[in-house]
Amino acid sequence: MATIIYISLAFLLIFCVMAVMSHSLLKSAIYLALASATLGVILYVLGAYWAAVIEVSVCSGLITVIFISAISLSKIKKEEVQKLYSDKKRMWFLPVMLIVVGVALIVLALANDLSLTNTAEKVTEDFREIFWNTRQADIIGQIVTILIGGIAVFVLFRDDEDKK
Amino acid sequence: MNYLNYAGEAFLLIPLSAIFLNNICNKRFIEKHFHILTGAVALLQMIAAVFAFYIMDANQMLNFDFSVFGSSKITGIELFDINPVSLVFLFCIGMVAFVSVMISIRTIDVKKGSYVNLLMTLLIGMNGMVMVSDLFSLYVFLDVIGISSFVMIAMFRSRKGLEGSIKYLIISEIASIFILMGLSFISMKTGSLSFKDIGRNLLTNTFELQTILIYAAIILMIAGFSIKAGIVPFHSWLPDAHQSADTSISVLLSGIVIKIAGIYGIYVLTNIFGGIKAYQVSLAGLGIISVVVGALLAACQSHFKRIVAYSSVSQMGYILLGLSTGSTLGIVGAVAHVFSHAAFKSTLFTNAAAIHEQTGTLEIDEMGGLQSRMPVTAFSSTIAFLSTAGIPPFAGFWSKLLIVMALWGSGNQILAGFALCASILTSAYFLRLQKKVFFGKTPEHLSSVTEVTGSIKFAEILLTAVTCIVGVLFPLIIIFLHSRGLI
Repeated sequence: MATIIYISLAFLLIFCVMAVMSHSLLKSAIYLALASATLGVILYVLGAYWAAVIEVSVCSGLITVIFISAISLSKIKKEEVQKLYSDKKRMWFLPVMLIVVGVALIVLALANDLSLTNTAEKVTEDFREIFWNTRQADIIGQIVTILIGGIAVFVLFRDDEDKK
Repeated sequence: MNYLNYAGEAFLLIPLSAIFLNNICNKRFIEKHFHILTGAVALLQMIAAVFAFYIMDANQMLNFDFSVFGSSKITGIELFDINPVSLVFLFCIGMVAFVSVMISIRTIDVKKGSYVNLLMTLLIGMNGMVMVSDLFSLYVFLDVIGISSFVMIAMFRSRKGLEGSIKYLIISEIASIFILMGLSFISMKTGSLSFKDIGRNLLTNTFELQTILIYAAIILMIAGFSIKAGIVPFHSWLPDAHQSADTSISVLLSGIVIKIAGIYGIYVLTNIFGGIKAYQVSLAGLGIISVVVGALLAACQSHFKRIVAYSSVSQMGYILLGLSTGSTLGIVGAVAHVFSHAAFKSTLFTNAAAIHEQTGTLEIDEMGGLQSRMPVTAFSSTIAFLSTAGIPPFAGFWSKLLIVMALWGSGNQILAGFALCASILTSAYFLRLQKKVFFGKTPEHLSSVTEVTGSIKFAEILLTAVTCIVGVLFPLIIIFLHSRGLI
């Protein structure tokens, strides 16, 4: 189990770095989807089946569809984006630093003999029960976060009335 | 305890209802009366905090845990929790939000509906953060605060605002990642993120738990919350964000957001890890550096809001010094300084709004002699400055005195001496500010300037009264709280 997790973590790191380093928005969205899918695998192996399903279906599936739809609707052409980045140097120290940190964390984990406990097996309550009666504060916080996302899009991307 | 449950629910439900009302009402009606809605929410928040405090005192309670929206309460699981300290924070949130609304009446001309929405989400984030009893829930509400603040800074889409907001977003998210990593390490070692469970585990398994992972978690979380609080050396985002935002938003950021997102987080950590010596030393080190460097940087600035922003960096250091002692006196001093800082920093930002409104500038080199033309602003600014510098009998004096006494009592005499000397630095940069803005010769282009009127003037008078009254009554308040067993 630990081997699958460590391999998945390495892939997760690679996909996340590629999502940040890519000059193509479309490729970034796809790398992000792959990162979410890998995270889903880790959650599944750890026994958090509900979290894994939500991660894969929502983060890897639905959000990627929204991203790709938004990118295809945007008017900026691929050539324009490439031109915008053509004179900018890529900061390759970022992936190098991340790999160093990743290796350090794995060494730390191995040195401390961190056991990976299957916490999901201990949970016997109903899913709804856990969601609302034990993690209610998180749910409220998440709802408000989504609300702010909506407000942010409205405030930051809508043309001002006075400009019209 | 139904009344306490209602009061607790009110802190989340009232802002949510205000968002609902704001968006279903006629747009023109809201644009015209937005201040009534937001002002009422802020006032209700203060009333609810005082009411809850009264009920808890009457029932000799030190904390009350509850759930919202009528969900069934499971024994042993605390969803939300209110206690005297969280009520002080909740009152401060209401007070600063009220001041922000007073300023916004004069400074915000467009996007009033969006301001209402964002102020309410920010209130929910801050209220939620001080009421949760679990580190992960605290992180969720911390992100609500971060995203709301980012959108508020950027909402008018000025070049400076967008630059400040992007800086804030990136640094704030880095802080969130640090905090999340810290939470993960704690969860790995203790198996729970509930404040009480972690504290209990630390008490019972002291030797086992004080491993490298727990220390790594403490370092990451102190760094994360210090970034949010603008503590030196994590302060670079703060002056830019505060300067670039509208003054009604700057007052929120400096007056309360950095305290809730940063200082309250460190307060929670102090309750859990306060007994660990390395933790105390780290806080004391960060605190004293912040006090001195913040004051020195404030002395070098020429923009009114930047001086006040750097002053916040310095004052956050005092709060950290109080918390670093881990003693009751130090924590009381830190919480008292949160309140007094909220009052005098809000006054100074209200002064900034008044001056900008009347002169069109906040560059102190372009001002002078405004004392005779803006007497109320000059007077309230002087009171706020005296309170910031810790001059008796204002609120800032008592809170700083408690912090210095706590430092002395815990054997940190050198730090206590530094904290006292830094007050001289505070006086120096505020004297420079007062001299440049309110005294000397009035430049030609400011000869027709008159005193600000309306809501800003009202806020100036109100906050000055709070600073004076709390200052005079402070010893009595402390004696009362002590006699009731609340501290």
